[in-house]
Amino acid sequence: MQIQYKPRRSWLGTIFQTEILQGMGLTLRRLFSRPITRQYPDERPQIRPGFRGQHALVRDPATGDCKCIGCMRCAMVCPSRCIRIRSHKDKEPGSRRVIDCYRIEALRCVYCGYCEEVCPVNAIVLTEVYEYSRYERPSLYFTREQLLANWDRFVAQMDKPVKEYVNPFWRPRGQAERNLTGPKRLPVPPEWSGEQQVVGRKWRQHLPPEQS
Amino acid sequence: MDILLMLVWIVILFVVVMLHVAYATYFERKIIGHMQVRLGPMRIGWHGLLQPIADGIKSFFKEDIIPENADRPTFLAAPIICLVAMMTSLAVLPFARGWVLADIDIGLLFIFAMSSLASYGVVLAGWSSNSKYSFLGGMRSMAQVISYEISMGLSLVGVMLMAGSLNLSAIVEAQGDRFLGMYLMPQCIGFFVFFISMLAETNRVPFDLPEAETELVSGYSTEYSGMRYAIFFMAEYIGMMVMAAIATICFLGGWNGPFAVPFFPPLWFVLKIYLFMFVFIWIRATLPRYRYDQLMGLGWKVLIPLALANIVFTACMKAILT
Repeated sequence: MQIQYKPRRSWLGTIFQTEILQGMGLTLRRLFSRPITRQYPDERPQIRPGFRGQHALVRDPATGDCKCIGCMRCAMVCPSRCIRIRSHKDKEPGSRRVIDCYRIEALRCVYCGYCEEVCPVNAIVLTEVYEYSRYERPSLYFTREQLLANWDRFVAQMDKPVKEYVNPFWRPRGQAERNLTGPKRLPVPPEWSGEQQVVGRKWRQHLPPEQS
Repeated sequence: MDILLMLVWIVILFVVVMLHVAYATYFERKIIGHMQVRLGPMRIGWHGLLQPIADGIKSFFKEDIIPENADRPTFLAAPIICLVAMMTSLAVLPFARGWVLADIDIGLLFIFAMSSLASYGVVLAGWSSNSKYSFLGGMRSMAQVISYEISMGLSLVGVMLMAGSLNLSAIVEAQGDRFLGMYLMPQCIGFFVFFISMLAETNRVPFDLPEAETELVSGYSTEYSGMRYAIFFMAEYIGMMVMAAIATICFLGGWNGPFAVPFFPPLWFVLKIYLFMFVFIWIRATLPRYRYDQLMGLGWKVLIPLALANIVFTACMKAILT
């Protein structure tokens, strides 16, 4: 490794404090540059697809209930162990697993998005809602009903039909079509599938520099 | 009748200076904000213009907490000492020809006396709060003021030698109204020493060790709250203004400018003060804080010898030239 030392300061530089003057020049230049502050309640950030915000359980239009099948993958993959699922299955053959309880502790969640990525039926999603602070803790322990209500609220404020909504985490990047479960093979624009799939910071490359 | 007129002048000066202090905080927050690519206060009024007033109202109505184990009378007196000493030195500043409340012959000495008296306020505040942070802040302030007061006094001896007077108006008159008459050029070493001591004397960055908020919470004013804290702030900003005024008077030719302004003679003086205030803020936005031993080393090993050499040089030049 090549270590780059600063050149020795000459005695003229010491007398006239050129380094301080350089620093002062820098701050003076910054004085006339554009501030990057966003005046938050007036100016809102642009939310891009793949934003990981408030949790929701997708309401299945066919049954009116959540799509969860109780496979426990999200609970297993969750790094902060904030998902708690209880389910049972009736004795007679061919019956489906019934979800008794699905809870997410939003205060413990680290918003990694693993749960929505691993879910085989796209039942859970991190929506683009980010303003849900509360004054007390209990209302941030989301139960199944609250999670479904979160989805309804998110759908209500969405500007396109629900059928067209695809969360980028529902189609993990770099996965072949045959490796995905049926519900995850969603029709998506070409830049979403394969290596080019847009998740998180990759969006910056698609936008002109002034918007990133 | 004379006394009444004098009182009116005092009130006007007080109000104008207080408004300046209030807006100096706004100016500082805005400039530092923009230098750090932020916006600074924006919410109250147009571009946050009413922010100082909101701050004033807020600090006025805040609870005045006095610690149980504090030395009560001293604790209450300390901010007043600070403010009174700083405000008193405003009386001898000549804002324009004849625009001075007390045209005394020992003006410069008076200002030195008052600015070291103001540091008594800081020391007493640190001692009476009965808290280790305040105490450390007060101790540092004492050491810093003692060492930098000397170099500041010595740096101005050259100006006194050249002007032949301690009267501030006489110093300005001695510089004349030509650009080359300013003492900035012949006294450049004196100006350098004075400028650094001025920063140290007003407890500004990079010499803000008495209130180093990263290590001493808030230094000597840790235990103060509400209006008393605001008084310390006012004293600090008035101190900045007084020091900027002294620098203007002694080195930049006071109220003299390229041309005379008809209705508002102090215009050039005020502009030069603003320039110094801007430099204060600019330095604060740029430089980190000195380490304590470096501060002492700079004061005693660099500035005082430089100032002494400057005195000898100025005196020799004056003896040769006359």
